Amino acid sequence: MRGIESNDTDFLPPDIAFRVSARVEGNALKVRWVIADGYYLYKQKLDVKAESPDLVVSPPQLPPGVVKTDPYLGTQEIYTQQVEAQVPYTRIDAGAHPIQIKVTYQGCAEAGLCYPPITKVVFPNAGTTAAPAPADIPPYPWEGIAIIGGAVGFLLAGLVLRKGRKLDLPA
Amino acid sequence: MNTVGPRFFAAALVVLLGIWAGIRMHSVHNAGQQSVHQEHGVAAPAGRASAPAPQDATASDAIGPRAVIPARLPDFSLKDLAGKATPISTWSGKSLVINFWATWCAPCRREIPLLKGLAAEWAGRDLAVVGIAVDYRDKVKEFADRFKIDYPVLIGDQDALDVAAQFGMDSPAFPFTVFTDGRGEVVALFVGELHRPQVDFILSEVQDLNHGRVQLPEARHLIAEGLAKLAEKQGT
Repeated sequence: MRGIESNDTDFLPPDIAFRVSARVEGNALKVRWVIADGYYLYKQKLDVKAESPDLVVSPPQLPPGVVKTDPYLGTQEIYTQQVEAQVPYTRIDAGAHPIQIKVTYQGCAEAGLCYPPITKVVFPNAGTTAAPAPADIPPYPWEGIAIIGGAVGFLLAGLVLRKGRKLDLPA
Repeated sequence: MNTVGPRFFAAALVVLLGIWAGIRMHSVHNAGQQSVHQEHGVAAPAGRASAPAPQDATASDAIGPRAVIPARLPDFSLKDLAGKATPISTWSGKSLVINFWATWCAPCRREIPLLKGLAAEWAGRDLAVVGIAVDYRDKVKEFADRFKIDYPVLIGDQDALDVAAQFGMDSPAFPFTVFTDGRGEVVALFVGELHRPQVDFILSEVQDLNHGRVQLPEARHLIAEGLAKLAEKQGT
């Protein structure tokens, strides 16, 4: 019980009920949702969009779902257990930015609870999933090199310009 | 040159420190931008990609009120179907069944006939059913017309979510229903789809409370026990 006496629910939080991951495989992104027992996702509510500026993704290709007929919501295709979307992609600037996609999904528990649509930014890679912890994310190395190179160049330029001139410093 | 040298190196050191600080800030900024963004629902990092199971979640993980549920009905106001601001105190003195729902939610839709029946049974008596739709106004209006919802419906988006949070549902899932007694005390909060036996049981306790046959702590305890037994009976 939580605070007052009500029904003691066993409903899972959405991030446990629906686990999303993505990986790069050739010219396609594979986005996978692993769905807890007793939960389902609506096919119609699954979507993948490009988040990084240089990325162009095609609409996700999804396998057929299970047809679920609800007298109050009509006929819908749903997924249980797991589903994987194939998302062909192209990159405009040959990979200067890490791939980021925006994944949207919505689902329910069979026992009678629905979660609002969820949208997450996911970083596909070869091994793991979504969203590394902030501390794990390296800065873009080329940007750091550019900053340092620029600063060193600035210092060298200063030295060259200063050569032969007396520096007028206060006593 | 001898006097300038140390100053120059000091200046260079300051510049290099500045560069280092800039790179650090850049990293932190990037990390902040690249963390998980979630536009709706619970803002939490994605879990591992292993097969989840109900037992993966601890009791504290489960969906439901996390914050302290208020002892009394909070004072709030939302717009009704006609767009008129309606304070919840409009039904002051009545026991309330406040149902949070959304049009995209199948179990919420399934509850509507039950709630309509309840509103009709209690019409003119000391109980009112109030729906709070966390949804787009046009969709709710269309749905309410189509399903002939004849009990009061209030609508909101973030303001309705704020109301849900006042009941401890800071990461709401739908439907959930709050039951209050005639004095405005929150007697029960039911998460998930309601069914007739559960509603009847909770309302019988609310009536006992209203007539002084039971005190609030005991009523809450009895409701918890009764709902657990019903759930066991239904195998949920």
